[in-house]
Amino acid sequence: MDAFLQQTAISLRLHYRNRMALLYSYLFPLIFLLAFYVLYRHERVVLARHMGELLTVGILGGACFGLPTTMVSERERGVWRRYRLAPVSTAGLVTSTVAARYTILVSAGLLQLAASLALGMPLPRHPVDLVAAFTLVSFAFIGLGLVMATMADNVPAVQALGQCIFLPMLIIGGIAVPLASLPDWAQHVSAFFPGRYAVQALQACVNGAGIGAVGFDVLALTIIGAAGCVAGAVMFRWDAQQRFAARGHKGWLLVPLAAWAMVGALSEATNRVATTPSDQTVARARHADTSLPAPSGSPAPVVAPPGTAGHTKTVEQARTPPDRPPSAATPPPGTAKPPSPAAAAAPQPGATGRTGNSPAAPQADVTGGPGNRPAAPPAPAPAPGPATPPPVKQPIAASWREVTRSDIDRDLTFDHLPSDEGIVAPIAPAAEEPSPEVNQQLEAIAEGLPKWGPARVPDPVQRARNILYVAAVPDVLQTELERFAPAVVFDELERSIPKDDLIKVLYWIALHPMDGDHSAIEQLPALGFESRAVDVEEARERVALYAVKLLGRLVGAIRGR
Amino acid sequence: MPTAEPKVVVRDLRKQYGEVQAAQGVSFEIQDGEIFGLLGPNGSGKTTTLECIIGLREPDAGAISVCGIDARRHPRDVKQRIGAALQTTSLQDKITPREALTLFGSFYRQKSAAAEMLERFALGPKADAPFDTLSGGQRQRLALALAFVNRPELVFLDEPTTGLDPQSRRELHAEVLRMKQDGHTVLLTTHYIEEAEQLCDRIGVIDHGRIIATGTPRELVGRSTARQAVSLTTTPGLRPEDLALVTGIEDPVWDGDRVRFTTAAVSRSVAALMTLVEARGVAITELQVRKGTLEDVFIELTGSALRD
Repeated sequence: MDAFLQQTAISLRLHYRNRMALLYSYLFPLIFLLAFYVLYRHERVVLARHMGELLTVGILGGACFGLPTTMVSERERGVWRRYRLAPVSTAGLVTSTVAARYTILVSAGLLQLAASLALGMPLPRHPVDLVAAFTLVSFAFIGLGLVMATMADNVPAVQALGQCIFLPMLIIGGIAVPLASLPDWAQHVSAFFPGRYAVQALQACVNGAGIGAVGFDVLALTIIGAAGCVAGAVMFRWDAQQRFAARGHKGWLLVPLAAWAMVGALSEATNRVATTPSDQTVARARHADTSLPAPSGSPAPVVAPPGTAGHTKTVEQARTPPDRPPSAATPPPGTAKPPSPAAAAAPQPGATGRTGNSPAAPQADVTGGPGNRPAAPPAPAPAPGPATPPPVKQPIAASWREVTRSDIDRDLTFDHLPSDEGIVAPIAPAAEEPSPEVNQQLEAIAEGLPKWGPARVPDPVQRARNILYVAAVPDVLQTELERFAPAVVFDELERSIPKDDLIKVLYWIALHPMDGDHSAIEQLPALGFESRAVDVEEARERVALYAVKLLGRLVGAIRGR
Repeated sequence: MPTAEPKVVVRDLRKQYGEVQAAQGVSFEIQDGEIFGLLGPNGSGKTTTLECIIGLREPDAGAISVCGIDARRHPRDVKQRIGAALQTTSLQDKITPREALTLFGSFYRQKSAAAEMLERFALGPKADAPFDTLSGGQRQRLALALAFVNRPELVFLDEPTTGLDPQSRRELHAEVLRMKQDGHTVLLTTHYIEEAEQLCDRIGVIDHGRIIATGTPRELVGRSTARQAVSLTTTPGLRPEDLALVTGIEDPVWDGDRVRFTTAAVSRSVAALMTLVEARGVAITELQVRKGTLEDVFIELTGSALRD
């Protein structure tokens, strides 16, 4: 026991003396965190929906680079050979190495978590489950790291091997790129890598239903981890002179490979590969809707006045200080406004029914497209007319029917919407011709929409939401259809709901993006859509964005169509 | 343990790497308190033999008993009781001697305190310096300290002075002699004849994976039939035809004014040479007579000189 503790303590101490190792273990996961933070800055809740991915990246890096690199370098220089002169068992050396690595992984994970919390992420929903899931994922990847350490004969080889596993897993394994945005074949491939199971298991503990809800992922990680550890232990070699290729235990390499294949096959056999709208992703997001502390006041897919910095885009956070005049009030209908590539809707003080007395740091930029950031401050806003309410506590309209024009003028601006040419809520110019294939799809949608169940529900707000999903879902999935669907959707909305009502309804949806039902997403295949998983929260945000874009057109604030 | 029983018994040890027979039936014994040297050129099988005994390698055949324990069946029991320093000892770059000694001490049932070992091996000033800042001599002393951390009955040193500077080499020799005084049993391998001659009570000469002679250095030289070597320099030099008159001179080699030769009857040859020198009226500047050495024995036994 003393030997185990000594050995673990020394491994840790040496790790903390090695600057490169520190860089890999701590800086690298933080860089990923920062990248994700920037990449997903327009999401309602900071990073919470990507914690699984982030933690997985950290564990993968530590277990598949850090661990085997340390092991191979110690073995190749003959450090282990010296250990072997002492009565040290293979199990003793391996368990202490693994224990030290696990400690490093946990500390790096805590660092990521702390950084995320500092950036505004809410606390994970199931902290105890998260510890269990983290341990299980570490086990799975450490097993992999052990196998890699036995295979590679030198440090460059282990690094190359690491890249061969790390990069594919990151890109098509469901870690850095969301599974839902991967093509079908990649989703099938990802089922054979441990990455996606790791992400799902961890994610379930952050904003999902906990580890109990991801039994298959737990099983997959256990199988993969056990196979790796057993093979790593059998193929273990003490000495640089025992080359991998010359050893008799190579056949054990098949064990981890068989485990990966088995997990993939199980996943295929139980139909877990394709992420359809009805599967766990949606379930997770549904859960997320209620589990994460939603900002009081309705989040709206809106942006803040220019020149400010921030990251989220809730109404609450985008609020301007009370003593500040509305930055860009909507001009009255009919007022010609210079076409702006990035109209934005920003809620005005009081929109949430609360006094805006917090020094909000609203965000400046939603899509990151260059068109969104004005080079100069925006043209001075029209003088606040009588429609501009005093920035004091003001009740929000109680129902969509009570929405007045002044509500719209007060709560929405259209200057900083994501560009129609961007990747978030794009709209193709009227003159642009879709490809024949997309055209065919559009015709099918236009024809199908009036008969589509969700487009015929009696409540106009829900009906409008449902119809807007037809534009929002292709946008989330970034299919070719995304730029052309909005036109068909806008036509259908204008056909289905009288203009005056439609304006109120769209305003209502913009201010209440997380309300209402989203089951329409599951009925999209009736309009010829492929059955694919969609992040509901994201789809809701896009619905609201398209609502504002159409609203702006209807009230003349945005020129177009 | 009764002193009558040998500390190490190796019987017919065999080890093959692919086509290469590294050990082809090595057998020897080491008595308690003895310093035993395995002397042989590189590739003779001495390191393989040592590594099989200390449990770094699994022999193909043969019996090894260390301190009365079957080393092939209970290698970890053997490791508890022996200490070993390999040709080179690598540790992690940033580990300090104190940490290394504490860590390795934790592997054993019996151990000496790190501070004691640091003191004994003169590592005090470097106790907390990272391994990568230690000199070659300091690393070798740390290797020895690690070998002694479990108070071993038996110490194995594989080529302990290879690559050391003369000063470190002298220090190491002193350390080995101290081990002998302390009553340790030591097995060392070396390809330096002087080292074997100077340090070892008994030597096993090994070549091509076999022990070809065993005995004390004196016994080995005594057993030799080697001739004595004479080297003579005069001013001016003698002429070869003069030397031909002297009896008993074999294989003369001329090098300017100097001539070297061997002889089986050194007194008679040298006396005749003196007479000749006086007759020719030349002055002797150097006269050297060398007895047969372990090196001569070695060449006699193996048919080749030791390669450094």
